[in-house]
Amino acid sequence: MKRGSRWLMAGIGVLLALSLTAGCGGGGGGAIAKIKERGYLKVGVKADVLGFGYKNPDTGQFEGLEIDIAKAVAKKIFGDESKVEFTPVTAKTRTGLLDSGDIDMVAATFTITEERKKIVDFSPVYYSDGIQLLVMKDSGIQSLKDMDGKTIGVSKGADTGQRLKDKAQELGITVNTAEYETYPEILTALEAGRVQAMATDGSILKTYQAQDPNTVLLPDKYSEEPYGIATKKGNDDLRDLVADVINEMKQSGELQKLYEKWGLTGGGSS
Amino acid sequence: MFELWQWQQLFSDWRVFAAGLGQTILASGLALVLSLVLGVFMGLFALVPLRALRWLNRVYVEVFQNTPLLVQTFFLYYGLPHAGITLPVLAVGVIALGVYTGAYIAEIVRAGVQAIPKGQYEAAYSQGFGYWATMRHIILPQAIRVALPPLTNQVVNLVKNSQILALIPGYDLMYQADSWTQQTLLYQPGYVTVAVLYLCLTLPLAHLARKLERMLARGRAEEVRPTVARASGSVPA
Repeated sequence: MKRGSRWLMAGIGVLLALSLTAGCGGGGGGAIAKIKERGYLKVGVKADVLGFGYKNPDTGQFEGLEIDIAKAVAKKIFGDESKVEFTPVTAKTRTGLLDSGDIDMVAATFTITEERKKIVDFSPVYYSDGIQLLVMKDSGIQSLKDMDGKTIGVSKGADTGQRLKDKAQELGITVNTAEYETYPEILTALEAGRVQAMATDGSILKTYQAQDPNTVLLPDKYSEEPYGIATKKGNDDLRDLVADVINEMKQSGELQKLYEKWGLTGGGSS
Repeated sequence: MFELWQWQQLFSDWRVFAAGLGQTILASGLALVLSLVLGVFMGLFALVPLRALRWLNRVYVEVFQNTPLLVQTFFLYYGLPHAGITLPVLAVGVIALGVYTGAYIAEIVRAGVQAIPKGQYEAAYSQGFGYWATMRHIILPQAIRVALPPLTNQVVNLVKNSQILALIPGYDLMYQADSWTQQTLLYQPGYVTVAVLYLCLTLPLAHLARKLERMLARGRAEEVRPTVARASGSVPA
């Protein structure tokens, strides 16, 4: 076993060293200078959420509220809203890509939480949504109360599961959660009877309700999900610039116009 | 990025990782038993004089070696319920892992037996051994030595492949770690811990296999060498 444990220690050492080097680098204040030098802004967005970040299969272009906000940031930096490159991200990949410098900011239905604020910087809220439930029509489920002992499918990396568990506790019931990599997987699990409800932000669920007419979107909202644009800690100049863009869009009424453009009813800042 | 408070948070949430580790060990252990049973039988089927069994071996090995584990798992998890069969998620993981790994073990068993020189069979038959007795007393004890190293690789692969459970969601180590790291965004301490925990599972396995190999090698030195010497002595030059 002696030889084995020596190898183990060496392995841990290598892993620690790798993580340390990955963790360093970047920092400093010149984030915008670097972006200008590169010539374009790199933004992590959703590719599968209608109205927010959606890669239109007909045009091959990204479109949605978050795409328009990213373009506004590019316009602020370059005076040209086309100087932006979109990278599809998931809840799982978005922070890693931000840390590695593969993207400058994340605009991807990223809910602001106190826990996450320790790791990334957030812009002011640009949209506020709430968790809802999507269930099969023939299940007879009317609200979270009917979910006692049942399983709710949620997205991996989202805070949805914990919030619903807390809510369930208040109602005096218990629910199980199962986390899936992608939204289509949750819908598939719902259709297969693996879970009895799909839960995520209402605006996202609308996309999936439309895909399966046998499902119904329950009206109750179980949380407040304030979305923010995330930037890497240390990139203070970029964080401040993004905050300026959001605040200006709010004041000018442009953000409101974008909600209407993309059919978003969830509501704005709180 | 690598600050003390992140590790403190990880250690205060140790139950999440412990639960995942337990589920991974349970699923891997059950899948290992299933894969060994399937692998040994299916592997031997390739070598018996019965055509139907040889055919069964070919179909099994080709189907499960040449389709991705992920697809097989998704079929069991998402597909079967539409046919009215909803297996518990642990059963899905064990069956998928066990059947997939079994196909590789079957090939190792077949190759192990086929690696034994024809002369060994001829010598056995000339001494009055039948087919099954030859297999049991002469061929299989030698084949095990040939098969053991690649078999170890498969066992280690099975443990690592068990993270397929994270996708269906099987509450295994990878699932719990994914969930925790994304909740907290502390992916560096999270995934380093996962890597170390998988190492803790696979290193002892590899170590055990080496020990077993040495034991068998010693046994070979004491028992088999005289047999081989006698056998080669009888082969005309």
